Amino acid sequence: MNKKLSIALSLMVSTLALGSITQIQAATDDVTVYSSRKEHLIQPLFEQFTKQTGIEVNYLTGSGGDLIERLKLEGENTPADMFMTVDAGDLWYAGTQDIFQPVATEVIKSNIPSYLRDPNGLWTGLSVRARTIVYSTERVKESDLSTYGDLASSKWNKKLCLRTSKKIYTKSLVASIIHNKGVDAASEIIDGWVNNLAAVPNAKDSHVMDAILAGQCDVGIVNTYYFGRLIEKNPEAPLKLFWANQDTSGVHVNVSGAGITKNASNPAGATQLLEWLSSAEAQAIYGSLNKEYPANQNIDSDDVVSSWGEFKQDRMNLSIAGELQADAVKLMQRLGYK
Amino acid sequence: MKEAFIKSNFWIGLLAFSVAFPIFIVGSSWLLPGSELWSHFAQTLLPELITSTLILLIGVGIGVSVLGTVLAYLVVMVDFPGRKWLEWALFLPFGIPAYVLAFVYLGVFDYSGYAQVWLREYLGIPGFDIRSGHWAIILTFILVFYPYVYMMARASFKRQKVQMIEAGKMLGAKPIRVFWKISVPLARPAIAAGLLVTLMETLADFGVVSLFNYSTFTTAIYSAWGDFRSIEVAAQLASLLVLVSFFLIYFERKARGKAKYYSSDVSHLKAYNAKGIAGWTIFFFVFSVFMLSFAMPLLQILIWTSEVFSVEWSKRYINYFSSSGILTFLATVLTVAVATILALPSRRKSNSKTLQILIRFSTLGYALPGSVMAVGLLYGVQNISLISIHFGGSSINHILFGSVALLLFAYVSRFLAIAFNSSSASSEQIKPVYEHSARLLGASRWRLIKEVYFPMMLPGILAGGLLVAVDVMKELPATYLLRPFGWDTLAIRVFELSSEGLYERAAIPALMMVIFGAVIMLLFNKLDQEKF
Amino acid sequence: MLSVSNLKISFEDNHVLDGFNLDLDSGDIFALLGDSGSGKSSALRFIAGLEKAQLGSVALDGNDLSSDGSHSVKPELREIGMVFQDYSLFPHMTVFDNISFGINHLSKKEKIIEVEKLLELISLEGIEKKYPHQLSGGEQQRVSLARSLATAPKLLLLDEPFSSLDKSHRDQLVKEVRVILKKAGVTSILVTHDEAEANTFADKIGKIEKKQLLIS
Repeated sequence: MNKKLSIALSLMVSTLALGSITQIQAATDDVTVYSSRKEHLIQPLFEQFTKQTGIEVNYLTGSGGDLIERLKLEGENTPADMFMTVDAGDLWYAGTQDIFQPVATEVIKSNIPSYLRDPNGLWTGLSVRARTIVYSTERVKESDLSTYGDLASSKWNKKLCLRTSKKIYTKSLVASIIHNKGVDAASEIIDGWVNNLAAVPNAKDSHVMDAILAGQCDVGIVNTYYFGRLIEKNPEAPLKLFWANQDTSGVHVNVSGAGITKNASNPAGATQLLEWLSSAEAQAIYGSLNKEYPANQNIDSDDVVSSWGEFKQDRMNLSIAGELQADAVKLMQRLGYK
Repeated sequence: MKEAFIKSNFWIGLLAFSVAFPIFIVGSSWLLPGSELWSHFAQTLLPELITSTLILLIGVGIGVSVLGTVLAYLVVMVDFPGRKWLEWALFLPFGIPAYVLAFVYLGVFDYSGYAQVWLREYLGIPGFDIRSGHWAIILTFILVFYPYVYMMARASFKRQKVQMIEAGKMLGAKPIRVFWKISVPLARPAIAAGLLVTLMETLADFGVVSLFNYSTFTTAIYSAWGDFRSIEVAAQLASLLVLVSFFLIYFERKARGKAKYYSSDVSHLKAYNAKGIAGWTIFFFVFSVFMLSFAMPLLQILIWTSEVFSVEWSKRYINYFSSSGILTFLATVLTVAVATILALPSRRKSNSKTLQILIRFSTLGYALPGSVMAVGLLYGVQNISLISIHFGGSSINHILFGSVALLLFAYVSRFLAIAFNSSSASSEQIKPVYEHSARLLGASRWRLIKEVYFPMMLPGILAGGLLVAVDVMKELPATYLLRPFGWDTLAIRVFELSSEGLYERAAIPALMMVIFGAVIMLLFNKLDQEKF
Repeated sequence: MLSVSNLKISFEDNHVLDGFNLDLDSGDIFALLGDSGSGKSSALRFIAGLEKAQLGSVALDGNDLSSDGSHSVKPELREIGMVFQDYSLFPHMTVFDNISFGINHLSKKEKIIEVEKLLELISLEGIEKKYPHQLSGGEQQRVSLARSLATAPKLLLLDEPFSSLDKSHRDQLVKEVRVILKKAGVTSILVTHDEAEANTFADKIGKIEKKQLLIS
């Protein structure tokens, strides 16, 4: 009994020690990243960066909101040099919380267009995620489709599937509609959507497309890379993307992006990493890993992605989407968009 | 002697207080100014989600109690084909995280799932949305959580077998009559204890409800935080959950209050022999619960794994596995140790009211959603830092944030309830006469604990340890926020892949978790048979 | 040898004993009769140091154990043994471990000899390896007696040890236990509500009436 107890105790002590050692290691010349972009999407990039520069990258993934809280509380002592996230709303909010320092090197400026960067240089967009209409080629004619707002019209009654309002992509889309059309028009649209729903809003974009394939509904709104994955697995699927709002504001895009933390202990290394991430080479990996659009406009998209054709993007600066997100959520909750 | 008691009460109180620390931090959110968010929620979310939370709790509560009790009774008291392995197999669903089961169920039974496609194509039954309404999510929760009641009721039924011999009556009675007249009334405290854990888990769940897009109280908590970035309102809402749990515990105590002391003897009564059709009917029923809650999801996971194994498998999985293993081991040992100390039988008499309430408080963390608990903990550390800075010291944030120590603390705070309920249930069966005998035979307090209390509580301690281990392995939100660099667990990997819709790839870590869970169960089963 | 004086016990304002006095000589076997609720068990527990009282003192072999209703010597140091009404054997220990629980300071060899001797005394040789649940009620009570005797207490208290046994076995056991106690020469107090049992068992009998002890 006592022997077992002492083994357990010593194991415990050594683990605690191990925990603090990893902590100390993080404070050397390496670059440390907090990321809400998932591990499998960043790890290959960092590996490549280390291979080229010899700079090690430590990373900790987490949910965007959690990591911002942690950064705030860690303050000056934070191990993080860079915060990376997958939504403009999170980037904007992080910007308001005084955890970024401005960076705007010439390399970054020339690689990434200004509407995908924070006006004050606090964060930089690294990939573009287009959110548009997806439809069943068996039951819907392309000519019947036009805008996000049109999906609220009664001709889509019981034919619409949407992703939950809790997901950040939905929030940003609705924020952009509020920005483009005003609150009143936006609330009419949301109301129409809710009335047209064929099913309780889905938890995932992939579920929206499954529902269309199964005939539960005919149209939906998804991020293009989810469509890309589905088509890759099932090329015969009777499903197509439609570029929304081409005659008006353009397709709503969101970004994933990153900024250098205010209390970075290795800002030089972090800047180097950020510049590299915006470079054509990294952007090609970035896009092909997840079938997103590169933020660097000098390079072409992945083959599958470019086969969907060119489209007009909504050039609204993404900080606005961030600012309007709370209003968007209130609107959706008021109108019963779950 | 009195001084010694006061002193030990003081340390016990301090221990309970530390464990309850995050609860107090979350509760202290009411000291912060109110927010206009409350009126927005009152107008929009709250009316619906209060009703739907209640419906969910009632439905899951009834379902879990009935299914868990019936299964336990059949397995202990009736001899039917396949009983031996099913008795053990019914524990297995414990190893599968609730949200993994939920996404498998949706994949099979939702409009686009195999089952409905088959029904439409071959039977012409029109498709339907299983996520609308309440019944599908209630059934899912029942299949996920029935093992809690099953486990507790099974232990209680096993003890009862002996008592019935001693009572010497009812031996000729029909099984159904024995079930209603003796078994269920006697097992009521055990069933209530399992039910309590289930309801607290259901209240704090986020994964299953978000996959079904069902509104419960956690919806509002996550909205306050995720949508409106208001930690205060999230914490205020969460503390209401704690309050609800406090009442649930109160009712459970009342249900348990009338229970008598039981001996913890081994069973020797022969089970009722169910032959022929009756036996096979029972087998079919129990087997289908096993199929639905374990075999079918496992099969789906295996199919997915085989599709992507060569792409997804890498050496890093060894790292995920060992992180999960080390954290689970350490957290379980700590939690069980704290629970045992708080649940020792001598506590009952010598405890002051304050201490009893404090101990109760220390078990409320189970009802807090993991991420609220974790953020509460970060703010708690921050407050300590602020106090330390005020007195000329320095901040301790960077030492504790991202340390294994803080993560372990969060686990103990969150899961103490399970270990405590289980150990105190077995400690309550220890009659005062054992303490009196031991003391009159000259035993010191330490010897009394070591040689009398501890071995007699061991079944409960082990059962609690098993539940804690499985829960720690599956825990996601607190681990996600508090873990140190490089300590990604299997649960994190499952979440990261499945939240991107990559279910096939998520199947690999999910499968490892199932195996891990099965090993824990196997270990427990071995100890269970060896000792008792 | 044992002297209990001026004992006063009450439950929630209801005095059950007031001015209870008892003196025993070495080797006495005494039976304490009383109806249920008369406070006889409470008196026993007070003597054992397990419960407090309003007033009263206990002295054993000239040592003061309790005075003014509270205890100056802990139960584990009083050298008083007790056999309880309900089965009090530790269910997770064998008969051997149960009996030797109180003589933990002895070596294994000494324990074996001691336990053998005690089992012979209670006429249950060879059951060392059995667990309590494998024994009948009467056997359990005899083992319980042996366990108490193992520590060679100065005083043995028996709190209705026969009341949960069948009538048929009981009379036999009452006689046997008396013989065992006489052989061991230990001063004993039996608490019971059964007058016949008291007559068979004891040298001296006392009865609680009007909150006091009347020795017959």
